[in-house]
Amino acid sequence: MFLIKCPYCGEREQSEFSCGGEAHIVRPKNPPDLTDDEWADYLFMRKNIKGVQFERWNHSNGCRRWFNIARNTATDEILKIYNMGERPPKIEGNDLKTPSGEPEIGSGNISTSFKKE
Amino acid sequence: MLDRENTIQELHNGFIKEYSGIMFKELAFVKKINLRGDPNDKKFLSTNEGALQSTLPTKPNTLTYNNNIKTIWLGPNEWLIADYDNNNINDLFLKLQDINNNEESSITDVTENRTIIRISGGKLFKLLSKFLVLDIDKALYNESSVAQTLFIKVSILIVRNHKDNELPEVDIYVNRSQANYIYKLLVDGTKNLDF
Ligand SMILES: [Zn+2]
Repeated sequence: MFLIKCPYCGEREQSEFSCGGEAHIVRPKNPPDLTDDEWADYLFMRKNIKGVQFERWNHSNGCRRWFNIARNTATDEILKIYNMGERPPKIEGNDLKTPSGEPEIGSGNISTSFKKE
Repeated sequence: MLDRENTIQELHNGFIKEYSGIMFKELAFVKKINLRGDPNDKKFLSTNEGALQSTLPTKPNTLTYNNNIKTIWLGPNEWLIADYDNNNINDLFLKLQDINNNEESSITDVTENRTIIRISGGKLFKLLSKFLVLDIDKALYNESSVAQTLFIKVSILIVRNHKDNELPEVDIYVNRSQANYIYKLLVDGTKNLDF
């Protein structure tokens, strides 16, 4: 659970919101021209990034408005909240070698010893 | 465990119930109108405000009122108008319908959608905080505050009624079908308010 700052209502509990999935997916201009694969790609295939992801969220149990969020899916850190229709922002300073700072090779959770600069 | 069934039916016909110093009352058929439109549109704003004789609140989580007609902020382009008098409301609705008879704004009668449970008492905020994810002391700190939030899993709208020096009183707007559920929980919640 985390807090989200609704652009209208202010900071609220995550349970008041619902996530609408990946943002900035453009509907193809002429669907009949697409192959089944291309259409399925548009319809179903989504990125599942460990790191900064651009998502649509709705304050469904509040003002019921949509907005975009840039969220680090590894740490749940919300880096930017911006309006629908805006271009995705450039996010800098969050480029960990791996999203939650664990070693690139091998496993094991050493995130507790990781120091963020 | 509930030692007896307290259903919202015990509030029918304006009957008032009291549990541990918290008063409950149902305001069943308060006329409610949903208004949508662009607040940057000067004509929309002035004509509607003229009919309501109060401003449309553009500050989130607030309301304005004129006598017993409250205009509640729901979103940046959406308001709920509640007429607690139920007197000349049909005139008002027709007037607003006339004003908003265009492509850019809309008006809908949503009276039967939600009922209102009016609750008051000294320990009201303590009772409510048992059920809400919202920091209610902060959200309803100012007079004329409203908040749309979750009550357990139910979407509600809370309206603060009291002035700073008065006993706390709020109206909870809740879907009719879910009113009994939250009423039962509230009554149950009054049982250990002294801890
Ligand atoms: Zn909101």
